[in-house]
Amino acid sequence: MTSLADPSTTTGGAGTGAAARGAHNPWPGVALAGLLWTAAYSVVEPLSRWISHGLFGLPRGSHVGEAVAFFFYDVPKILLLLSGMIFIITVVRSFFSAERARRVLSGKRVGLGNVLAATLGIVTPFCSCSAVPLFIGFVESGIPLGVTFSFLIAAPVINEVALVLLFGMFGWRVAGLYVASGLAIAIVTGLVLGKLHLERYVEEFVWRTSFRDGHDETGELSWQERFSQARQAVGEILVKVWAYVLVGIGVGAAIHGYVPADALAGYMGKDGPWWSVPLVVLAALPLYSNAAGMAPVLQALVEKGAALGTALAFMMAVVGVSLPETILLRRVLKPQLIAIFVGVVTVAIVLTGYLFNALL
Amino acid sequence: MTTSVDVIEVLGPGCARCFETLRVVRHVVDEAHLPCLVQKDESLERMAELGVMRTPAVAFDGKVVLSGRIPRAQEVRQLLGLA
Repeated sequence: MTSLADPSTTTGGAGTGAAARGAHNPWPGVALAGLLWTAAYSVVEPLSRWISHGLFGLPRGSHVGEAVAFFFYDVPKILLLLSGMIFIITVVRSFFSAERARRVLSGKRVGLGNVLAATLGIVTPFCSCSAVPLFIGFVESGIPLGVTFSFLIAAPVINEVALVLLFGMFGWRVAGLYVASGLAIAIVTGLVLGKLHLERYVEEFVWRTSFRDGHDETGELSWQERFSQARQAVGEILVKVWAYVLVGIGVGAAIHGYVPADALAGYMGKDGPWWSVPLVVLAALPLYSNAAGMAPVLQALVEKGAALGTALAFMMAVVGVSLPETILLRRVLKPQLIAIFVGVVTVAIVLTGYLFNALL
Repeated sequence: MTTSVDVIEVLGPGCARCFETLRVVRHVVDEAHLPCLVQKDESLERMAELGVMRTPAVAFDGKVVLSGRIPRAQEVRQLLGLA
């Protein structure tokens, strides 16, 4: 096994590291950005009230006034929260890598391995396009199939954009619940898939492939490089989601202003029909990548009487089972295994929805 | 300007991030009029051979120099020894 310090695999990382380390101290810049962020965040609410009631002269308490104030409060708040939290999350994640996860997980048993894999799946930076090479790398190094699945489920189900939005719109309790239930789903689903002995449904070439120990620069990045990667990640995510956030908050604002309170209690509420959870989960499966736009709508729905468990199940189905990732996984998994994988994850999400509706 | 690198490979299954990486690498190579060959490789076998678990990845003459993110042009220049 190649160690982190092996110069043969890390020449590139070390080279850029040395070049960047000579530059300047990144901390004052980060501190200044933090101050500016705090200042901006604290003026969002008064500013939104001034815009809607002062500038536009919309009366307080009116439908349109409420909707407009909601919009101008939520848009900057969510975009600020996304920038700040994605920055911090990316810096934390720069200490983890798929290569590191693979080293930690190889040789771990089923059970403990699933728990570790699900936890690492949250903190390891992961793009759904990497699902396939990662799958091969894990399986080839002897990590059991079920443990590999725990990782592959946790990474997308606990989505950083969804997490930030849930935190911003529902508070830390719901955000924490989301993480806990995502972890539980990843662990249990991995265990179930492991028990089913599905190795025969993995494409044969995967077992024949020999996977070399790869490039891993994670351990030797300078703070400046970590911050610069984080800035880049914030930029990429904002460019990708701002339109969804605007539309989502717009729809949320309209619901907030116009739909009567408790209008949804009968359909999506705690005492609504049993089929409401599976129905919203099935509806959410094809909605991948709209996570950023979903959260504001969910908040408005919950406010009008939808049950929180149903809403969370919806969110997890939107982010957790993505069509593009499933199509990519087809290159290493036979259709039967894809179907079982999607099926088991879906059932787990539905059960979590019921559980929260019963508990909360 | 010149570099000792002959072949630059951009590895990835063909998602937007991989194409963006290819664009950045091509831009640097064209700008400096480098004679190196730039290739986009979507084969899983090649990724396994080079130990790539995070895409997009960039390899110089069969050696991975960057993986898991889209590089900035300046970074590619540094890696190529141009800057």
